[in-house]
Amino acid sequence: MSTALAGRAATRTPYRGAGRAGPAAVLPVIVAGASAVVGLWWSGTPRVVGLGDWLTGAGRITGLLAAYGIAVLLALMARIPALERGVGSDRLARWHSMGGRYVVGLAVAHTLLIIWGYAVADGTDVASETVTLNLSYPDVLSATVAVLLLVGIGVVSARAVRPRLRYETWFHLHFYTYLAAWLAFGHQLSTGSEFVGSPLARATWYALYFGVAAVLVWYRFLAPVRQAVRHRLRVDRVEPEAPGIVSVYLSGRDLDRLKAEPGQFFRWRFLTRDLWWSANPYSLSAVPRPGELRITVKDLGDQSGRLARLRPGTRVIAEGPSGALTPGRPRRDRKVLLIAGGVGITPVRALFEAIPAATGDLTLLYRARTPADLVFREELEEIARRRGAALHYCVGPRGRVGDPFAPDVLAGLVPELARHEVYLCGPAGMTGAAADALRTAGIPNHRIHRESFEF
Amino acid sequence: MRRAIFAVLVTAVGLVLLLSFKPHELTAVASPPSAVSHAPAPQHSAGEPPSSGRQDTAVPPANGTWTGPGATAGTTRGDKVATGDIADTRWGPVQVELVLSGGRMTGIRVLRAPDSTHRDLAISSEALPMLNDEALAAQSAQIDAVSGATYTSEGYARSLQSALDRAGL
Amino acid sequence: MRHVEHAMGTVFSFDLRPPLGDARRAVTEAVAWLHRVDAVFSTYRAESPVSRLARGEIPLDDCPPQVAEVLELGASVAEVSEGYFSIRPRGLLDPSGLVKGWAIEQASRILARYGAVNHCLNGGGDVQCSGTPAPDRSWRVAVVHPLRPRVLATVVAGHDLAIATSGTAERGPHIMNPRTGRPALELASITLTGAGLTLIDAYATAAFAMGDAARAWVERLPGVEAFAITAAGTTWRTAGFPGSAP
Repeated sequence: MSTALAGRAATRTPYRGAGRAGPAAVLPVIVAGASAVVGLWWSGTPRVVGLGDWLTGAGRITGLLAAYGIAVLLALMARIPALERGVGSDRLARWHSMGGRYVVGLAVAHTLLIIWGYAVADGTDVASETVTLNLSYPDVLSATVAVLLLVGIGVVSARAVRPRLRYETWFHLHFYTYLAAWLAFGHQLSTGSEFVGSPLARATWYALYFGVAAVLVWYRFLAPVRQAVRHRLRVDRVEPEAPGIVSVYLSGRDLDRLKAEPGQFFRWRFLTRDLWWSANPYSLSAVPRPGELRITVKDLGDQSGRLARLRPGTRVIAEGPSGALTPGRPRRDRKVLLIAGGVGITPVRALFEAIPAATGDLTLLYRARTPADLVFREELEEIARRRGAALHYCVGPRGRVGDPFAPDVLAGLVPELARHEVYLCGPAGMTGAAADALRTAGIPNHRIHRESFEF
Repeated sequence: MRRAIFAVLVTAVGLVLLLSFKPHELTAVASPPSAVSHAPAPQHSAGEPPSSGRQDTAVPPANGTWTGPGATAGTTRGDKVATGDIADTRWGPVQVELVLSGGRMTGIRVLRAPDSTHRDLAISSEALPMLNDEALAAQSAQIDAVSGATYTSEGYARSLQSALDRAGL
Repeated sequence: MRHVEHAMGTVFSFDLRPPLGDARRAVTEAVAWLHRVDAVFSTYRAESPVSRLARGEIPLDDCPPQVAEVLELGASVAEVSEGYFSIRPRGLLDPSGLVKGWAIEQASRILARYGAVNHCLNGGGDVQCSGTPAPDRSWRVAVVHPLRPRVLATVVAGHDLAIATSGTAERGPHIMNPRTGRPALELASITLTGAGLTLIDAYATAAFAMGDAARAWVERLPGVEAFAITAAGTTWRTAGFPGSAP
């Protein structure tokens, strides 16, 4: 295993394998929490008699799970480093999006079941029961606003609607979920029958929500600000790499203390008038050097195009580092295969430079649609020469080239394919196909690392 | 879309399973006495039942729950038991029984309470023990009468009032 | 001497103290009166004169004279209460809010006429006291706390005293605020005291519908005091309320 890289790659970030919590650790915790929440209902309900009780009981269970689900969803998006490293930001975002749909459904089901159940128990009709609930029960009116907000956000996030909105609009609307969570919290404790009589249950609920709130405030607000103050990141210069593709160089202090590993990304908040309001993820395209970081961005139309016009000296807040596409613990005799598609070359380029692998044990496959899309050609070739690594380009539209990731093609390009550890980055479709092919070729799942940027 | 349908189905099945594992029968906090009282049966017509003269009900002790320091009463000699009249409320008949020891009220038992729906039982199981304490508290403050508005408590307070009246406190 | 009577869908408790006068006769007459009132005014009996009057089947002249008296009282209370009390809630004639208190006050007068001047009459939570229970003390009537069942909110003491409490029933608000058309929800309960239960009972219902605005209204009424517990659990009382902590 190579232990030193001469020349340009001066800094090697230590592969500390810092704490990471993978899906195998996180999912059981979430499920255990949900079971505990259902247990809360179970222990507080002695009997279920009649239609009214069935409906109200179902309403209570769905309500409890929805409220728990909101806390979990917020926690997933809190940018907890252990989660970002272990589960991966893209997977977290997918979980959040699927979970979000389910939770909105639970909230709506809860609302309807409770109204119906109470109406049956009181012998009134659904309409007047709705009025009674909203006007005479504490905090129910704000909970109604909350559920309507959730439905609205759900609609806005639907696959059919979201592409029609500008990203900024969708982004701002999505923030109303915080408001919905806040509005709904009150009625959970003041009307939830499981909480009314049990101080322990109330304390646990407060702990859950305050815990999530604290984590959110820390990791999404305080930590980045502290990081910005400590490292004083600024734009140093912007250099074009290829048509529509620029590299932004950032300077700062003590950048090694950011502990960024190759393959990771940050969420960059450039403090200009039109970019300050959101933090977008871009991978480091080179190993961090003392006092300098580099990202490479392709103009995809929205915000990415504005980066080309960044002025030197612009202040930057960087949230992170995030991303699971990292070398992990060093292993002996490890052969590494890197596959990059399109803009996925960015983190792969950093991995190509820094991932430990002996001469002849490192291969990079770079897939792009046109030669103009190939970025870092000289850098990649230089690294390949220096490290004794193999570098293959696969250029051309699919129709002409065929499937570049057919198992036999891969096996032909990469000797001893089955012994490789593979890192994939690119559009989800490409990485999915490649992963399938690799599995067919005999590479076990735990040696395939994927990240795609469509979140 | 398939995933959505799957999620909905799993959730619905889960809810039904959870709810079905709970008992579905009503067990009354105060089971009504097995022997029927001498009073005319309460009529649950659309409105209030017609007035029914003075009622002397001699109801055999039923399996209600005792509260109060005299909870073991009935076994102690010298205890007097005063049975309140059955008060007919909109949700059903209500009746309480007092245990008096040396002229002081030491325990209350509910003989009849509305129990036809789960809501009745929930209210009864909360309100009755509270009322017992309330009755004991009222006595210790040397109260002559009790004014209030809550309907079911009205039934109890009235019955309490009547039990107090009967005992001549 | 004590007596308990079921009438008008509620329970009337008689508590007579010495000198009893012709107590037995007094109680019999008072009880008979209550049943007569029930027969005439019950809106739950389709054949009662008031029910038939409400449906327009018979004119007011064909009803017993007390009906006209009650309707006049109702109109006057409606005026004093600025419409918050009405004998025609939702348009249909229903003097029940006035009849119970009026019946109790009349019953109290019957008792006094037969010599039982010291008595306390409790009809379903509305109380009319007369005289004293014992030479050295006055009648003590407790008011239950609407939100905390174990607690007595206050104890009212007095000689010739009427006490009426109006509040939300256990199963939901049933008194409507006529201005908004919605259930009156500001107060959990309000207790009024005064001389005669007829007016006090009706005023209590009106006051509850008014919510916190009742305070100013009751302050303007001579001889009437109020004690209220809001839905939030706080209390207020008018300046002369004769109540103390239990």
